[in-house]
Amino acid sequence: MMTSLAHWAMAAGFVLILIGFYGALTNRNLLRMIVAFCIADTGVNIVLVAVGHMRGRTAPILDSAVPVADAVSRIIDPVPQALVLTAIVIGLGVTAMMLAYALKLYEKKRTLDIAKFTELKW
Amino acid sequence: MTFDWMKIPYALLTLFIVFNFGLLLTAFIAKIGARAGRRHGIPIWQNYIDLIKNYGQRSSITHGVMFYLGPVFRLTGGVGLLLFVPTIYGSEMFSNLSFAGDLILALYFVFFGTLGMALGAGESGHPHAAIGITRGLAQVTAAELPLALAVFAVALQYQTLSVTEIVAAQQGGMMNWTMFTNPLAVAAAMLAFLGSMMRPPFDVVLAPQEIPIGPPTEYHSAYLALMQTNRAIFPIAKIVIYMNLFFGGATSWPEFAVKVFLIYLFSAFVGVCFPRFRVEQSIRWFLIWAVPLGVLSILWV
Amino acid sequence: MVSPLYIIAVALVAAFLLGLLKEERRGLAYSVTLVTLALMSWISANWLWLFISTDAVPVEIYTAGTAPPFAINLRMGLVEAALTLLINLTGLISGLAMKDSLLRQGRRAMAVWLVAVMALSGIVLTRDMFNMFVFFELAVIATAGLVLISEHIRNDGLTLAAGFKYMITSQFISTFLLIGIIFAYHATGTLNIDGMANTSLVLLNGGSIAFFLMFIAIIAELKPFPANGWALDIYESADPAFSALFSAATGAAALYAADKLLLIGGAEWLPIATGIGIVTFVAANLLALPQTHDRRLLGYSSIAQTGLILVVLGQRDILGEHTLFIAGGLLLSHAVAKAGLFWLSGLVAGRELNAWAALRSHPLLVFAFVTFICMLTGLPPFPGFYAKWELIHLLAGEGRIALLGLILFSALIEAGYLFRWFGYVMKRESPAEPVDTAPHKTAAVLVAVIAAWGLSFLWGELAGALFGRGNILLALPLLFALSFLLLDPLPAWLKNTLAIAGMVAWFYLTYTEYDPLRMIFAAIFLIGGALTLLASYHAHGKRIGFYPSAMLMYAGLAMLIRATSTFDFFVAWELLTVGSYFLILRGKHSEPHALSYILFSLGGAFMILAGFALAAQGAPHFSLASLQELAQPLAPWVFLLLAIGFMTKTAAIGLHIWLPGAHAEAETDVSPMVSGILLKAGLYGLIMLLLTMGRQNFYGVDLVNAMLWIGAITALIGNLLAIFQEDAKRLLAYSSIGQMGYAMFGLALMNHLGWLMALMFVINHYVYKSMLFLAVGGVAKRTGTREMYRMGGLITLMPLSFIATLIGIIAVSGVPPLSGFGGRWIFYNAILTSEARLPMIILFLAGPIAFLYLFRLIYTIFLGQLKDEFRRVKEAPFWIILPQMIYVAILLVVAVVPGLVLRHVDAYLDQFFPNGGLSWDGMIITSDFGYWNPIAIMIIVGVIFMTLFSWLLFVNRRAQKVKQFNIVFSAERPFRPETTHFAWNFFAPYRKALGFLTLPLVTLFWSTMTDFLHTAGDLTRRFYTGNGQTYAYHLLGFVIIVYLFGMGIQP
Repeated sequence: MMTSLAHWAMAAGFVLILIGFYGALTNRNLLRMIVAFCIADTGVNIVLVAVGHMRGRTAPILDSAVPVADAVSRIIDPVPQALVLTAIVIGLGVTAMMLAYALKLYEKKRTLDIAKFTELKW
Repeated sequence: MTFDWMKIPYALLTLFIVFNFGLLLTAFIAKIGARAGRRHGIPIWQNYIDLIKNYGQRSSITHGVMFYLGPVFRLTGGVGLLLFVPTIYGSEMFSNLSFAGDLILALYFVFFGTLGMALGAGESGHPHAAIGITRGLAQVTAAELPLALAVFAVALQYQTLSVTEIVAAQQGGMMNWTMFTNPLAVAAAMLAFLGSMMRPPFDVVLAPQEIPIGPPTEYHSAYLALMQTNRAIFPIAKIVIYMNLFFGGATSWPEFAVKVFLIYLFSAFVGVCFPRFRVEQSIRWFLIWAVPLGVLSILWV
Repeated sequence: MVSPLYIIAVALVAAFLLGLLKEERRGLAYSVTLVTLALMSWISANWLWLFISTDAVPVEIYTAGTAPPFAINLRMGLVEAALTLLINLTGLISGLAMKDSLLRQGRRAMAVWLVAVMALSGIVLTRDMFNMFVFFELAVIATAGLVLISEHIRNDGLTLAAGFKYMITSQFISTFLLIGIIFAYHATGTLNIDGMANTSLVLLNGGSIAFFLMFIAIIAELKPFPANGWALDIYESADPAFSALFSAATGAAALYAADKLLLIGGAEWLPIATGIGIVTFVAANLLALPQTHDRRLLGYSSIAQTGLILVVLGQRDILGEHTLFIAGGLLLSHAVAKAGLFWLSGLVAGRELNAWAALRSHPLLVFAFVTFICMLTGLPPFPGFYAKWELIHLLAGEGRIALLGLILFSALIEAGYLFRWFGYVMKRESPAEPVDTAPHKTAAVLVAVIAAWGLSFLWGELAGALFGRGNILLALPLLFALSFLLLDPLPAWLKNTLAIAGMVAWFYLTYTEYDPLRMIFAAIFLIGGALTLLASYHAHGKRIGFYPSAMLMYAGLAMLIRATSTFDFFVAWELLTVGSYFLILRGKHSEPHALSYILFSLGGAFMILAGFALAAQGAPHFSLASLQELAQPLAPWVFLLLAIGFMTKTAAIGLHIWLPGAHAEAETDVSPMVSGILLKAGLYGLIMLLLTMGRQNFYGVDLVNAMLWIGAITALIGNLLAIFQEDAKRLLAYSSIGQMGYAMFGLALMNHLGWLMALMFVINHYVYKSMLFLAVGGVAKRTGTREMYRMGGLITLMPLSFIATLIGIIAVSGVPPLSGFGGRWIFYNAILTSEARLPMIILFLAGPIAFLYLFRLIYTIFLGQLKDEFRRVKEAPFWIILPQMIYVAILLVVAVVPGLVLRHVDAYLDQFFPNGGLSWDGMIITSDFGYWNPIAIMIIVGVIFMTLFSWLLFVNRRAQKVKQFNIVFSAERPFRPETTHFAWNFFAPYRKALGFLTLPLVTLFWSTMTDFLHTAGDLTRRFYTGNGQTYAYHLLGFVIIVYLFGMGIQP
């Protein structure tokens, strides 16, 4: 079986996730960690879309090009796409929140090193 | 329940006999001990003289109620012990008040006098009295153990706790005595006997020579007289138990006199031969030498 | 009915509206927030009422008007209604408690607060996987947002760091969740949870990995060990009112989410959930042991409780329809108690556990604290108790013993640190900062207290409906005891009168029900208890807390003897344990001793619980009488567990180390209660056990024979230790250990006279030990010390106490003519028929040792030299003397006519041991071996004594009383009583000879055990380094381990 675009996309998505995780686990700088999480988020979104992709079909928009009658056989599954949209929004919120944290944390200690924020432990 | 009132004069008769016998016997034993030590010793009637002198003394003090009652407790213990055990086997007259209880009563009543005495002497406030009591109590816990084991072995052997029945089971010849049917128990009991007779090697409790120690220190005059009375009665009462349990009892007063004397002599004999133990030494000695015998005797039955 | 959608809608609208308000209108904004939360709660409550009062079926709400899979649906059923009510109410009350900080932070914080609560409700309501993801993310963002906003109030940066760690973790979680969701969707074509379950997701190609990812993400939200460092940091640093929500509401929502996931995963994933749950439960409790920070401790405890509930969810294959009852009981107990504790922590200024001692000046708050702790520990009558009972029974019925053991072990550790904390509250020095008693904060705590008791009642009713058990809260003795909580403001003498009247009345009401055996115990527990309470009249003031505790203990005792089923028995057992713990804790220096008491007791209680559960084998009802129908191989195990459980109460050797401290440090009138009366509960248990189960063979060991040995050794060691005590009450306490050894020995003889002796010990020990403890307590009260060598010569100053002590020691030692002799006489007769001769020898050794400590007791206190500082000491207070004199009278009566009580028991015992009874012929008592005539003995001894006494009085009538120092003392006059009173290290030679037997090996063993646990917890917790990245590694490691296990189990 020929490897489809969707498979490549999915593979790329997983690679991005792994890169993101690797980045988040190895970089001690808060901003770098946030960037790493963004990469992972992107990877997740790509995987989401790739799973929903069906070869040779069109976008799930019901207009003159895709009549309602044969929509089921011509469009791809709309649900993953809806999910991706939501996920992107949530990802944005989370990233913004983390950046706000990074800012505040930096104001407190003048450092972005995650290993410096260990007063709470044990 | 009817009570045979004649028992009271009979019991008093026993008491009278034993009292006099005890006074003479202790003096006699003391004399034997002295002779063994190349001394002349006391006259045989010395105890009577002491007794009369002490009762006659006019000066007397008291430290309080318990002090006053101590000798009373002591003598009650001795008299009671004597009367709770039948003295002469087969004689209704000298079965005393043994209807009140069995062997266990006698064994536990031993402590009645000890306890009262200890309390009385304690109230005197004299530290030596307390020291003597602690030594005595500590030693007695170890010394009584082989006896308790032996008694128990005997009770198991004869399947009864009644002294009369135990004696009855030993009748019909010397070979029926517990001494021969259960020698281990008798051996254990006789070692325990040494511990309770206040003679060397177990007499550190009284320590008669070195320091004025032990309960009698603070007692004098009539108190001391009561205690001396007890010292005549109590050992005999105790020996009577030994005699009944281990040596076939006595069917007549002469037999009684001989057996009591011989048993008493045993402790005196050991006493003149051996030096004195410290308390912890005697505790260990009893636990190491006497108790195993008692344990064996129980397992043997 | 208002649609549940409004729970979400109302919150969203209100949050939006708050944004429109002016920043200054904070009061208004706050009111809007509270009203919204109240409205949300009201909707949930409405639904809950519907489901409770009618048999309504759960309602599906289709959001877009179409059924799934084309739209998201919500469901409102009984569980959802209850959980959303819990969440919304927690939100409301926490909002109340957070009033100050919310007002300072303004409308934004309030809006976020609303969103957080809404999101949690959403997690509960939704049946759509992706929707659940969204709600989870909302909850995360809201949580992080709240932390961020509230930061400027605390301004220490700690909260911030914790929040960021949380965000790191949630990033990983959401990645897993999303990928899992999309593949699950790919496999099943639906996002609906029920749809996924119906298509058996895990069986599809790749489905199990998809499920695993979703599952692990949700599980990670439950803060499982070890992936929970972030949560602990949040608990430690956040506002306590927020932590309350985080613990109670977030925990509940996440648990329900996990429950939904397990619906998809099916049976194969249940063991994984159980495994994660139990590891978390054990580890979190262990790690909580070394904590000193209150909120972090509560965090560990929250995590542990969540783990336990996860275990319950994982065990649904055997719990079946009862899962809801059990999980619900545990969850609500946890939520209410934990929320209450967090709110309480908002009132306390310091963060050290010791700082909670500030609560002590507020009885109501102490009561709240007690309520929460008992609720968490699962003590009756709280819902957790019912849940624990059913859980353990079902586990035992299915043979999941290892899990059962781990649960109980861990629960014991939890009880350990919670009750240790309570000890701090009651006993540690109160800190300078007072408790913050702002009305809105206290109100939150009180609401939790009311909820706790309300839920207890509800669960009692539920247990009645489901299993036909009685509601514990409706038991009359317990109600009577609890009513003293309300009566506490009354003066002590009035409460004392009420207590005595109540106990006597209860005895009068019930006395016809008891057989002679139970009658003995009933008389001691109720009449004896009332008698002991006479001494309590000496106390002045209100004595806050004394009567509820004491009556709780007596209620337990009263219920114990009436119990016929294992459930009732165990309830009573726990009640009396807790009541006595509170009583013991009242002593001045009793903190460590009370703790070891409750730990040993609870450990024992858990043994009993396990034993009962094993015996029942899943049967919902098990009467005590059916214990005798048990057969091999189960029976010996049941016997062993129950026997060990009961022996913790009788302080058998090895389990005895709690007793001396607990009894010695207790208050004057408490010591006789816990010694003379409480110890009998253990004996009653043993009697019950031996009557029903008899001899049991455990791998060739006759367990009753083992008990014989334990009894003998206990008697020896107890007596031996008693003689070396300098503290009078400790001496008596050790003596109790010895006496209980005797009683156990008697029972284990398993013959007629052995039992008679044990019962005689029961009666005698009650009388003389109560009397001695009161006498010694009275002396200690007057002299201000319990060290015997500091006293001396008190006989003339405290004559009545002396008489009581004298009679007491004669009775204990067994010297004729007092009642103790009867016990000895029966003992000798009993052992004559026994084959067990070696343990008997040990007992022979133990007997005379009693003389040593008894003499020491009376001599060093009352005789010897009076000290200067005590020359003006008065006799003990009247009310302490009065019961002693009554006991003296009882002892004399029992000594003369022991048949009064014993012959009935003797006759009753015939049905169990037909041979070897006594015959009661007039005054003479005859056995197969000997005879005994108590009246004759008394008369003979009396006559001889009086005769000799008269003679001495006659010859010595002029005796003069002399002064203290008029003694022959090495030819000198002693000059100080202190140097002349021989009392310290009284039995030095004995120590030299036998001291090696008193080495504290048992104490060493137990302290090593606790040290080991402590150290293990302390070392393990270091692995929470505080670094957010490390926590991420923990999470990944956790995921991998679960994956390996999970996939390993899959077929």
